[in-house]
Amino acid sequence: MKRRRFLQIILAFLASITLLSFVYSLLKFLAALPARTAEANKLIIRKNEVPSGDAKDIIYRDSPAVIINRSDKGFIALSRVCTHLGCLVEYDRVKQRLICPCHAGNFDLEGNVLSGPPPKSLTVIPLRIDGENIIIG
Amino acid sequence: MKTWLNVRIGLDDFIQTKIIDYRIPKNINIFYTLGFLAVIAYAVQAVTGIILLIYYIPHPDHAFRSVQDIMTKVPYGWLFRQMHVVGSNLMITVAILHMITVFLMGNYKRPRELTWLGGGLSLLLTIIFGFSGYLLPWTQLSYWATTVVTSMPTAFPLIGNPIAQVLRGGDHITEITLSRFFALHVAVLPPIFLTLTGIHLFLINRIGISATPFGMADEEKRPLTEYKRKTHADGYPYYPVFFQKQMYMMMAYLAVMFFIITFLPNLFFPEEAHIPADPFKTPAEIRPAWYLLAPYQLLKLIPNKFFGITIQAILVALFLVWPFVDTYQEKNVLKRPILRGVFIFLLVMWVILLFWGRTS
Amino acid sequence: MRYLLLSLTMLFTLPSMSTAGYREDFEREFMTKTWAGAQVEENSCISCHASDKMKPEFKEIVDAWQASWHAQNKISCENCHGGDPKDADLAMSRERGFLGSPHYKDVPEFCGKCHVGILANFLESGHGKALKAGKKAPNCVTCHGSHNIQKANIDIISEQLCTKCHSYERAKIMKVTLFLIEKKAAQLEQSLQELRQEGLYPEDDQKSLFSTQATFRTLFHTVDVNLVRSRTDEFTSKLDLIDKNVQTMFRDLRSRKNFSAFLMLVFSGMGIIIFLLSTTKKD
Repeated sequence: MKRRRFLQIILAFLASITLLSFVYSLLKFLAALPARTAEANKLIIRKNEVPSGDAKDIIYRDSPAVIINRSDKGFIALSRVCTHLGCLVEYDRVKQRLICPCHAGNFDLEGNVLSGPPPKSLTVIPLRIDGENIIIG
Repeated sequence: MKTWLNVRIGLDDFIQTKIIDYRIPKNINIFYTLGFLAVIAYAVQAVTGIILLIYYIPHPDHAFRSVQDIMTKVPYGWLFRQMHVVGSNLMITVAILHMITVFLMGNYKRPRELTWLGGGLSLLLTIIFGFSGYLLPWTQLSYWATTVVTSMPTAFPLIGNPIAQVLRGGDHITEITLSRFFALHVAVLPPIFLTLTGIHLFLINRIGISATPFGMADEEKRPLTEYKRKTHADGYPYYPVFFQKQMYMMMAYLAVMFFIITFLPNLFFPEEAHIPADPFKTPAEIRPAWYLLAPYQLLKLIPNKFFGITIQAILVALFLVWPFVDTYQEKNVLKRPILRGVFIFLLVMWVILLFWGRTS
Repeated sequence: MRYLLLSLTMLFTLPSMSTAGYREDFEREFMTKTWAGAQVEENSCISCHASDKMKPEFKEIVDAWQASWHAQNKISCENCHGGDPKDADLAMSRERGFLGSPHYKDVPEFCGKCHVGILANFLESGHGKALKAGKKAPNCVTCHGSHNIQKANIDIISEQLCTKCHSYERAKIMKVTLFLIEKKAAQLEQSLQELRQEGLYPEDDQKSLFSTQATFRTLFHTVDVNLVRSRTDEFTSKLDLIDKNVQTMFRDLRSRKNFSAFLMLVFSGMGIIIFLLSTTKKD
């Protein structure tokens, strides 16, 4: 009798551990909320740092990006990671384009692919203007 | 609590008549638990499937990415996905083993022909489950294996092409195909499967568990000419004897599943399973999943396409209606060497074709 | 009943025998069919240059190109030489942009149509300046070949190649400077491959690795050892960042293994206990 009781207790113990593990994983699975964009993720730069027609290289969320002050359409922030193999695109003021030095992928100033191997357009990073500041992210 | 239930549904009486007084033949063995395991396997698939539904997106532009996110970003997403993938292969294995043991014990014979038919159809449904689910992650493996399998019906003259067109939703595999396979996998097949299994279980209960022909002589007079539920007055009570067997086999099934997830996590994931589908680039080797390899290899061997697929259709039909063909009264397969020989031969051929299909 | 089924079977099989096709027919239709959508590119450049009527030195080009890294990435004749591969008559016409093969001095601009960053660095280098001044100097083809171009690797810098014009000393110093970073990048490439095989998808890190290595190798084309040395730290820290992510992913994989091993043990344990319970006698 004692042996039986002992086995039953262990069984109950193991069964509850299993149940708890699955319930725990399921709860974490369901609660996977997207990372809240904390204020720390936002980047603030001043308008006068980017004169008209120029661009400034920035780091947004550990990844290189560029903010361009387009003479006709205002500010835009784009990721500099080329969608082909990941090289960093460079702003060409003369041609008014973003050019990737690795395989000559050409993007317009909205991020769309103009020519070359890149398969998709550059990621646009949302920004808004607040007085003298540009808040990126 | 118990009294409350007792007054309303007669719980004590129910437990006594259905569970404790339910008698199981004395020479029952673990092979008898395989059917129960198949049901458990299905339950695991259904639960993990529903869990995966929460993050999966059934459109070619997002399917691969959503599965990728489940595997890398969602906490424990990998756990449920692995359970679902490994579980699907284990479920088919268990169902096949169940079918083999039922065949060898002659438990398809009168009055159990319909039970066998229901079970056979369930096995086919399980394979269709596997085949439709295979496309959903939208990888190179999914896309091209599905391309091959949906081309197989074209072997039928006249009706072959229309069948393939309906399956694919067109000439090629597109988002239309994905949508209909998704609908099939998630909404159409489950109720059909559950109904079939329900009928299957009802029949088993109504007719009664048959005794194994081995070990103990079955005193049942054959052929049976009227309905009589098979009981085993001197058998063991279902609870605790058989219930315990079912429980530890269930634990064994889950232990095997987690063994594979721990030590062989890439068993069902060749390289093409990690690359998004590219309709313009065929991988060097396209193959359907292992449970469809034998038919695939057979088709490759037989030079006439139509003949090849006909042979297979005949074999499947034969397998489904076997109880109606084999009305020989002897249930014990040990006393039927020809049947035994042919069956083992076919089984071995199936395995050989499977391995051949893997390497060719 | 069984005779009915048997006769139905025979009836069904008979017509299939009458439509018995030949093996070649079957193989052609089923086995070698180009599957839904798989494109077969028509390339007139290759059809002519690979034919037996072509001069051997032109015929060799096709084989050389097919073994190249360009071919693997679907870069073919017209991407460098212009022209129209879909039109056999106008394949090499000026109006379709055909450029022919460049002069020795113009090769950098020819390759630099795509490899923009490298062209810029090369023209600033000692090699580039010498080339444009008409002196004895290498161009891209000297080190990389013209059609059988392989992935860049550090062993292109070799005694055999560099001593064509000057002593190996300078090249050796450069090679040593490049060595560690190249080695680390190769290790990371290997780790990322392993992670991919395990079902993880380290795209961002792969892109970062490619970008870092490409920038590093582009910089080499200035053949300025001091410049490369001064920027080595920058590259090393980028690679270290990738390494950190890679290590985190490996840790992730290990913890997954642990979790599922734990579950496996718990289930086996329960199975054993239930089995023991079933064999323990009740009083």
